[in-house]
Amino acid sequence: MTESAHDYAEAFHFPQGLAGFSEAKEYGFIYEGQGDIMCLQSIDQPEAAFLITPWNEKRLGSVPALSADLSACLQVDQPADIIWMLVLNPFADKEWVTANLKAPIALNSQSKLGLQCIRQDAGLDIRYPWMAQPT
Amino acid sequence: MLVLRRKIGQVIQINDDIRIIIQDVQNEHIVRIGIEAPSDIPVHRMEIYNLIQAENKSAGGAAALKWLQGANKDDSPSDEDKYD
Repeated sequence: MTESAHDYAEAFHFPQGLAGFSEAKEYGFIYEGQGDIMCLQSIDQPEAAFLITPWNEKRLGSVPALSADLSACLQVDQPADIIWMLVLNPFADKEWVTANLKAPIALNSQSKLGLQCIRQDAGLDIRYPWMAQPT
Repeated sequence: MLVLRRKIGQVIQINDDIRIIIQDVQNEHIVRIGIEAPSDIPVHRMEIYNLIQAENKSAGGAAALKWLQGANKDDSPSDEDKYD
């Protein structure tokens, strides 16, 4: 285990970790001036790092509904405290950066808790073409 | 692997706080089960969880931060940068 060299402004606790990275539970954000794309990086295991971007209601419609169980896990007091983010994959396609609509991330801005919410709808894209690859 | 025979309505208890309840058997092939577990225990269908796990590993890693920093924009990640 190595520790990240970054100094994070704020940290979020992911009680369930992320799928495939269940041991990494503390995450910080890194912004490098790339539009509205940020890096969500594990503080304890910096090799667990993901590009994320805010849910876009104009393109995708309303944010997902949060079940009672997930609301409890995130300690939701006000639904407006939840910020939905998409995990981007810049490596899956040469032309497109793809977004995982099947498993977005919900962040509670008040409790500083986060969850990757796996949605059951079979029609959701795991690799939705989100933006063209930068040239 | 532990294999148990259970009837509809019977329960399997795991630790103090996880219960698996057999709800119904449909067409002799499909079993409906209910799962009660603490909210911090993720419960998913395995095939869907495996898909998300694979996608996270494809999308994540040190290469993701390099991509964001512009160091890796035009190249596919090297083997060293990826998990699989």
